[in-house]
Amino acid sequence: MNPNSTPRQPTRDQVRHVLNRRAALRVGGLGMLGLTLPGLLHGEIAAKAALRRIAPRARSVIFLFQWGGPSQLETFDMKPDAPEGIRGLHKPIPSNVPGLWVNERLPRMARVMDKVCLVRSVHHTMRNHNSAAYYALTGHAPPLDDIRLKDSQELFPAYGSFVDKLAPSTRPDLPTSVAFPHVISDGSVTPGQHASFLGKQHDPFLVRRDPNAADFSLPELSLPAGIDPARLAARREMMQLVDRQSRLLEHASVAQGLDAHYDKALALLDSEALRNAFQINNEPGPVREGFGRSTYGQSCLLARRLVEVGVKFVTVYFDQSIGGQNTENGGWDTHGFNNTRMFPIIEGRHLPLMDQTLPTLLTDLDERGLLDTTLVLWMGEFGRTPRINGNISRDHWPDCYTVLLAGGGVKRGFAFGASDQHAAYPTEHLVRPDDLAATVFHLLGIDPSTEVRGQGDRPVAISGGRILHEIIA
Amino acid sequence: MSLPVLLRCPAGTARLAILLVLVMFNRGAAAAEPDSADVSYRRDIRQILSRAGCNAGPCHGNANGKGGFKLSLRGEDPAADHRALTEEWGGRRIDPFIPTNSLLLLKATATLAHEGGRRFNPNSWEYTSLAQWIASGAIDDSTRAPVLARLEVSPRELVIAAPQTNALIQAIAHFTDGTRRDVTREAVYEPVTADVRALPDGTVERLKDGESVVLVRYLDQQQPVRLAFIPDRPGFNWSGPGPANFIDNHIFAKLRTRQQLPAGDVSDALFLRRLHLDLLGLPPTAPEARAFVRDPSPDKRARAIDAALERPEFADFWALKWSDLLRVEERTLDRKGMIVFHRWIRDAIARNQPLDVMARELVSARGSTYSHPPANFHRANRTPIDRALAVSQVFLGTRLNCAQCHNHPFDRWSQDDYHDWAAVFARVQTKVLRNDRRDENDSHEFSGEQIVFVSSNGEVPNPRTGQSARPRLLGETAPLDPGTDPARDELDALGEWLTRHPQFARVQVNRIWFHLFGRGLVDPIDDFRSTNPASHPELLDALAAESVRSGHDLRHLLRLMLRSRTYQFSSVPDPTAANDEVNHSHTRPRRLAAEPLLDAQARVLGAELQFKGWPKGTRAAQLPGGAPQKEGRKTPTDRFLETFGKPPRLLTCECERSDASTLAQALQLISGPVLHELITRPDNQLARWADPELSPDRVIDDIFWSVLTRPPGPDERERFTRILANSTDRRATLEDFAWALLNSKEFILRH
Repeated sequence: MNPNSTPRQPTRDQVRHVLNRRAALRVGGLGMLGLTLPGLLHGEIAAKAALRRIAPRARSVIFLFQWGGPSQLETFDMKPDAPEGIRGLHKPIPSNVPGLWVNERLPRMARVMDKVCLVRSVHHTMRNHNSAAYYALTGHAPPLDDIRLKDSQELFPAYGSFVDKLAPSTRPDLPTSVAFPHVISDGSVTPGQHASFLGKQHDPFLVRRDPNAADFSLPELSLPAGIDPARLAARREMMQLVDRQSRLLEHASVAQGLDAHYDKALALLDSEALRNAFQINNEPGPVREGFGRSTYGQSCLLARRLVEVGVKFVTVYFDQSIGGQNTENGGWDTHGFNNTRMFPIIEGRHLPLMDQTLPTLLTDLDERGLLDTTLVLWMGEFGRTPRINGNISRDHWPDCYTVLLAGGGVKRGFAFGASDQHAAYPTEHLVRPDDLAATVFHLLGIDPSTEVRGQGDRPVAISGGRILHEIIA
Repeated sequence: MSLPVLLRCPAGTARLAILLVLVMFNRGAAAAEPDSADVSYRRDIRQILSRAGCNAGPCHGNANGKGGFKLSLRGEDPAADHRALTEEWGGRRIDPFIPTNSLLLLKATATLAHEGGRRFNPNSWEYTSLAQWIASGAIDDSTRAPVLARLEVSPRELVIAAPQTNALIQAIAHFTDGTRRDVTREAVYEPVTADVRALPDGTVERLKDGESVVLVRYLDQQQPVRLAFIPDRPGFNWSGPGPANFIDNHIFAKLRTRQQLPAGDVSDALFLRRLHLDLLGLPPTAPEARAFVRDPSPDKRARAIDAALERPEFADFWALKWSDLLRVEERTLDRKGMIVFHRWIRDAIARNQPLDVMARELVSARGSTYSHPPANFHRANRTPIDRALAVSQVFLGTRLNCAQCHNHPFDRWSQDDYHDWAAVFARVQTKVLRNDRRDENDSHEFSGEQIVFVSSNGEVPNPRTGQSARPRLLGETAPLDPGTDPARDELDALGEWLTRHPQFARVQVNRIWFHLFGRGLVDPIDDFRSTNPASHPELLDALAAESVRSGHDLRHLLRLMLRSRTYQFSSVPDPTAANDEVNHSHTRPRRLAAEPLLDAQARVLGAELQFKGWPKGTRAAQLPGGAPQKEGRKTPTDRFLETFGKPPRLLTCECERSDASTLAQALQLISGPVLHELITRPDNQLARWADPELSPDRVIDDIFWSVLTRPPGPDERERFTRILANSTDRRATLEDFAWALLNSKEFILRH
């Protein structure tokens, strides 16, 4: 190596090489233009396809994640004619949509079925909570079905993180995606709740506080004691004076990035809209009572308040644990372990909570004119076994279960797909979580085949599923 | 150093347009006269499927195929693809009697609805070749077809100066039968970055200036072409400092070819700050910095480097980096194992244990995880596959994960390589003497002593063959043979092989380089492969040779890098290098990592940290474990460190530590509890500065030197003095000053 020779001019041989190639290229016939043009333009077409815009049907999504796995047979896919060991103890009642029957324990739900769309043929093969929940939260099948499925950069991000990456909130004073009131886990933290390989800057804005608590507030959105906005402004002015002394902001993208986050953070701290949305105490008493004075009920109310101000993706976790063993807390995982029984537990906790909250949310959104532009997605990680086990309870069943969607451009009072006589396997229109993901992205105006760079710079499509055009209004 | 080809086209763009039209004519002519005599499945049809993208990951190359039609990823399994094309579904995909009625062609031309759209036209050479092949019986000529021996692309490196915006790559295939063939128009061209566009005929076009790589793929081989598009700089004249050592020679030589000038020398004060942050994870104190700046001796930087390398904080901070990589965390190792393993790592660095010895002790370790700490390496990585992936990633810079399910698409590793390599660890087992885990549902939690040993049996199944894999070291052809000595087993053989592997030294120097310069010569630093070329290949080799020569001496390698002019460049780029990301023309500012950030805040505020379970005054960089994972047990400082990217250490990868800046970080610093508490703690350094006896000038000077390692500028001095003079609450004003300086970019970034 000779550091003194600067190869600025090509050598004669190099020039000759290029010219010879050009001369060689001139040897060609006429009339073949059309033949290769598409090949040449292929790159441009591909680039245009990547920018293809879909008109969004949904401005926002409320994802009500039913951790633990609700039973399809005790909610929206009852089989009263199945044998005793399968049909369960509850009876179906008709709803306000002919043919759509629901559990008798969901009487209020029965009056709003004209607002919802059921998909009764959702199927996958993941039998462990974390693997199945990751599938539900991302729309991507996990690499393994195992309780040990660990959070890692190889796994896909939460829906909301993709939305933040590809179609972020246009308002500087709002986060794109908010999740609350728990981080769910089963042994280890369930993957699929954050931005993973998209980078922490796309993490959902996480609120781990109970909106039902009397003192519910967000420390992140409030200043420490003794620091009022005027003092913060003075501090910031000093900071900016110091920042002007170095040339970092001029040259370093990392400095500019930091500055942008400060601007956003200060906008959030200063955001009337966001602070007000979190002032759940401002909601009239009867409305709060309507949603139910529970953590889940008030979380659904908070979800509506956030959508109202323009947050794009809200995730509400039903509970932090899979639960299923008492009526005080926990999710839908009712195996009958430790001498418990599923039916009294869901009768005492899950079904009343659901019947109070979900119809209230749907009606409330509809009355405010928000349901047409807000997609509500109610789903667990799987359903439960058609066969009632020795504990008079049901175990995990990913082979066929029901997911509820409402608003945001989906058909109303509609059921798609069907299960067999035991609600055990789909008999028509098998739907995978991938397809639900593709449909959610599509409704938000994001092409599900959009590619992003995954771990190791691998190009990956945000969804590999099929858009369920059949359920779109 | 091989000189890259540099292209210049004075005629400009008008001529380019003509050229492109000519390219089209040429390809048309070729298509009109297909080499009808021999359309080979193995050579031509396979390549057409790749070129048209049919077997790409998002299409039929997907693990589940698409629309019921599955091809192997990028055509890695031509026999299976042949079956899929000719036999599946009763052979409905092809019609030998009326080839043009073949579903394959109807779909690919979008004559029938095809989700993947039109891949080629009915009058393309791809179409003609496929039709020809189908008409002649759609035979797999696996026995007759020539086998690709080598793919040659030229040029390998290309610097293209404006106004020239494009160039041609040529691809020549050499087959094992001695024939050679120009496959320029059959190869696949894949840009790795968005700066460049590659056309199907081998033309590469500038989209924007910068460094890029285009992969050229033909059959089962691929070669990278390194490209640089540079602006036209007539009259460019190199000027730069004299090289301090061979590092600068390599760096400067590349800058010359890119016509980029290096940044100026960093100031003494900022040099010391940078050095201390990089080696010690702490900024210099105000007295240290002032004394250094005043010191007139010409060799003071070299002496400062030597002094810093001997400080205990150096061992703490570099042990932190290795602890990330070796998965030192409490849940799997338990508290005692975590502490002894961390202490072992720190001790190895403190006494400058050669890196090869350290690596050998880790991978060959056996025995109690309490009394023989390196055995925790095998405790942290609990299965043969985990161990195999960890060793290849940490010590050989090779990511094998892809090869678990399919042959690695960008590297040479097959599924057999992967499983044979994992089989080297098949007999390594841990005896769990006891497990008092606190969370019964957490199968990752282990509490209690374990014994790592090599069992008499153990195997790794290879799912492709259905047999158990035979132990074989990565990249070797023969199975692993530990030799005849009964006291020697595969772990001993592995340790010796690993540390003598030419890749070992490259990976270690690249990692050290990454920690000092913010970007590896190969980047990401654990992803060495021919398709991810180094930014400075000769420099990497020279450093690796130096590592071997010095006996893998960490301090020696650090000293070399730290003394280079390149390390001592300012972060303000020369205008010719404003967009440089990879050539090290200037220092890349980067955010302080979680632990040094918190430690630096505590240090300048004179407030000791208190971590739950550790003695008061323990610095964040001294904590042996990773970020806690149990939500309920996290303290505010845990959350602070997690927010700034401290990893839980579940992966043997530097990539687990996030250096991204986020909204949550800004909220932490603006309104979070940790910094607020340090600033408002009554007995901190601010209390001493609040002493009314001290002159405002002196206090402001001290604050600036402590926090930013520099005196205040005239504007700052004037402004801060005025604020302090008008203040009715001196302490509160000092808190505001501290907040402003601790939130400034100069403090948060290492620059």
